[in-house]
Amino acid sequence: MKKAYWAGAALILGFLALGLTTFSKSMTPYVSFDEAKKAGRTVQVMGGLDKTSTRYDTPTKTLHFRLVDEKTKEVIPVVYTDVKPANFEDAISIVAIGKYEKDAFVAEKLLVKCPSKYQGEETEKQYGKKA
Amino acid sequence: MDSALSIGFAPGTFAIWFALFAGIGTCLVYLRAMQLAPAGGAEPGKGYTDMVGLARRFYLAFAGAVFLTSALLLKVLISHDFRISYVASYSEINLPFRYLLSTFWAGQEGSFMLWLFWGAVIGFFVIRTAREQEPPVMIVYVLSFLGIVAILAKQPPFRFLAQLPPDGQGLNPLLQDPWMVIHPPVMFAGFASLSVPFAFAIAAMWMKRWDGWVVRAMPWALFTMVTLGTAILMGGYWAYKTLGWGGYWAWDPVENTSLVPWLGTIALVHGMFLQKKREKHRKINLILAILAFCCILYGTFLTRSGVLADFSVHSFVDLGITGWLVGIIVTFFFGGLGLLAFRWREIPTEHRLDAEGKPVEEPFLSRSVLFILSVTLFCASGLVILLGTSAPILTRVTGKASQVATSFYNITHTPIAALMAVLIALVPFVSWKGETLASIGRKSVTALVIGLVGGAIAVFAGIRSAKDLVIVTAACLGMAANAETIVLFVRRKAIRTMGGYLAHVGASIMLVGILISGVYERKEQVTLVKGQPVQIGSHTMTFTRAIFVNEDGVVKTPGELNQSVLSDRRAKQAMEVEVKTSRGSVWKAYPKMYQNERTKQMMANPDVQSSFLADLYLSPQAYEPGQPSRVQGSAATVKQKEVTTVDGVGFQLVTFIPDRSKMNDARPQVTINGKFKVTVSGKTTDVTAPLVMFLGDDQSTQAIPAAIPGTAGSFRLTKTLGSDGPAEIEVIGLNPAGDAKPAAPETFTVDITRKPLISLVWGGFYLMMAGGIVAMVRRAMDARQAAIA
Repeated sequence: MKKAYWAGAALILGFLALGLTTFSKSMTPYVSFDEAKKAGRTVQVMGGLDKTSTRYDTPTKTLHFRLVDEKTKEVIPVVYTDVKPANFEDAISIVAIGKYEKDAFVAEKLLVKCPSKYQGEETEKQYGKKA
Repeated sequence: MDSALSIGFAPGTFAIWFALFAGIGTCLVYLRAMQLAPAGGAEPGKGYTDMVGLARRFYLAFAGAVFLTSALLLKVLISHDFRISYVASYSEINLPFRYLLSTFWAGQEGSFMLWLFWGAVIGFFVIRTAREQEPPVMIVYVLSFLGIVAILAKQPPFRFLAQLPPDGQGLNPLLQDPWMVIHPPVMFAGFASLSVPFAFAIAAMWMKRWDGWVVRAMPWALFTMVTLGTAILMGGYWAYKTLGWGGYWAWDPVENTSLVPWLGTIALVHGMFLQKKREKHRKINLILAILAFCCILYGTFLTRSGVLADFSVHSFVDLGITGWLVGIIVTFFFGGLGLLAFRWREIPTEHRLDAEGKPVEEPFLSRSVLFILSVTLFCASGLVILLGTSAPILTRVTGKASQVATSFYNITHTPIAALMAVLIALVPFVSWKGETLASIGRKSVTALVIGLVGGAIAVFAGIRSAKDLVIVTAACLGMAANAETIVLFVRRKAIRTMGGYLAHVGASIMLVGILISGVYERKEQVTLVKGQPVQIGSHTMTFTRAIFVNEDGVVKTPGELNQSVLSDRRAKQAMEVEVKTSRGSVWKAYPKMYQNERTKQMMANPDVQSSFLADLYLSPQAYEPGQPSRVQGSAATVKQKEVTTVDGVGFQLVTFIPDRSKMNDARPQVTINGKFKVTVSGKTTDVTAPLVMFLGDDQSTQAIPAAIPGTAGSFRLTKTLGSDGPAEIEVIGLNPAGDAKPAAPETFTVDITRKPLISLVWGGFYLMMAGGIVAMVRRAMDARQAAIA
């Protein structure tokens, strides 16, 4: 029976080791645009969409746009090669996960955040709360 | 946060406050009953019985108030009382009844309410199950819900708006799906039932009764396993059928936070079974019961506090209850583990003794060991997922909040899945007494052959990865081994006891399904041009037309839609794709792509053709309505005092003469008459090209073509830039190559995925849950007999 506990402990330790190494490897940190340009690895950046910068090339399915950091007003050009996400133009902010290469951030994945119309807060903002 | 409490719809708010006080009362009266409890198994006195009776009446009042609050919330939703913020935020007049029902739990407050509702229902059964342990169990049970009651009392879903909106904001269109009507109630039944093992475990430590609780709480742990599991699967199925992620699982925080307690519950079920059989390993179950319950609370905190808002597609926003949630978690986590630490030395760890009085060492290859390993495995899986999901919080401490890629979960779960398959395969051949490798080998010949056949089929089907082959072979072996046992049990007419084996057959099948459908799916993105067949794999696909599908699933053209029928008003645009198989059978797919009226967001729902061997999954990506061919001339800018040559014709602007005579017409308009000198082969003519500008609500322009003398062509004034020019013109019909603008075709871009053997995921799951239900019935009977004896 002792052996079983040892086996269990070994199992847990093994997974802990596997988990922690995989954990640090698969981490994609949120970074500023400046850091993203220097990082040389997969990171994620978040910013507002510069609506004048959007250009979609249909034959090559390439989306070009610029993200603007809401605080520092820094700008980063982003390239995304896939179908343009639905509601792209309505986005209040966009999260791009990818890597900075040469002169643009090449995104593998985009998370488009649209203003949520389904939260009580919105209704209360519009119609006011009754004390 | 409000300084003053907002009462809003008074009956509802008072009902929830009443529930809070009745709940506290229930605990206090039960506490009093405990002081009157008979010592050491004596017959209970009248004082005790009366006090328990009073406590039950208090509980009845508590549950009654919870039911009343729920009924009132439902009432205001059904009667469209838009004075109430919650009603106005999540519902609208134009909502079919079933979705009106799901607005109940569309918001945070309502989903807490649903949780509480189930808690109140289950409490009545707990009173019956707990018997002589009723006071301590019920105190902890009711306490486990009081935090939620307090949150609701602070944030009742009955707050009024200052102004009365004409209609509500409506229900999130993604939730307007039949699966989303039943998924949350089942999920919260699972959440609420997890309070039962927790209450029994705490009561066990309180009363120092170490074994009885396992027998009584086990059917409830199985109940949680079945309900939570079913709810998780429904959520996955909804994601697969409606969301169009392309899969049923995305390791999203919201999914993970229900998966981890489920894994904890499965670990608990196995641990309880072990304790029941061997009358030891008591600490494992106490820990698991506490942790599984705390996982539910922690998950609630992760998804409701807004801490993950930047990391999940569907995290809730902060309701101002983060502090409360943290307080509740801390209380139960440290309270539970603290009590365990306090009692740690008193918990008996009995070992059977041999003839010489030394503890008997259990053999390594025995069923006990398999159970311990399985518990370990479920815990490892749960911890790894918890670690991944908490990554944004953990990394925030070091500065930059980060999340893990989904590959983290897939990589860590490959060895877990493989070991799980092996353990499942071993169970039928390993007895409690212990085995040697040789004896296992002898017993497992048939199953081993079947497992190897499964592996061979996998190789034949093109699977080459060693780890995938190991998992498939082990899972086939497990399937065969457990099925063999089931057959044996059926012959012996011992169907009641086969629950575990049935669940293991299901789990093995599911593992194969998850692996094959995930790793070996083939995805291709194609742009289909209307009317042009495209060969994709063994299928021929043709995008035939954009059409509408109403809420009852009837395909209609825009003309056939009847606006006076709700189902037609709610019709969605779909793309009709004809899918022809190589055998000639035709299936019409209707992946939907439509704009949500209210939010103006594009929504896309996939369509799936399922068969046993593979699902064909069409997930819409983009629709271009196309344009008919039209004529586009050569554009040019023409100035005064300067001749501009376009397609061989010289143009010079003379002046603009505005005509304001129709300013006061029903449709007010101004016509700009552009006077030009037009030179064709040396001959100059004066030509007037009018540009009509409509004013008012529907501002637009209309450029009327003027013939170019001596040619077949014409030109139009398209824009005036300043009162003396220049003018923008368009020359039509003189440059045949440039004039015709080709038609842009109507196209539909779609992700086509072939998911092999995904049917095994669902099929295996049904078997697993069926096994869980069989086991639950059996353990409920055990619990009743144990209580009588």
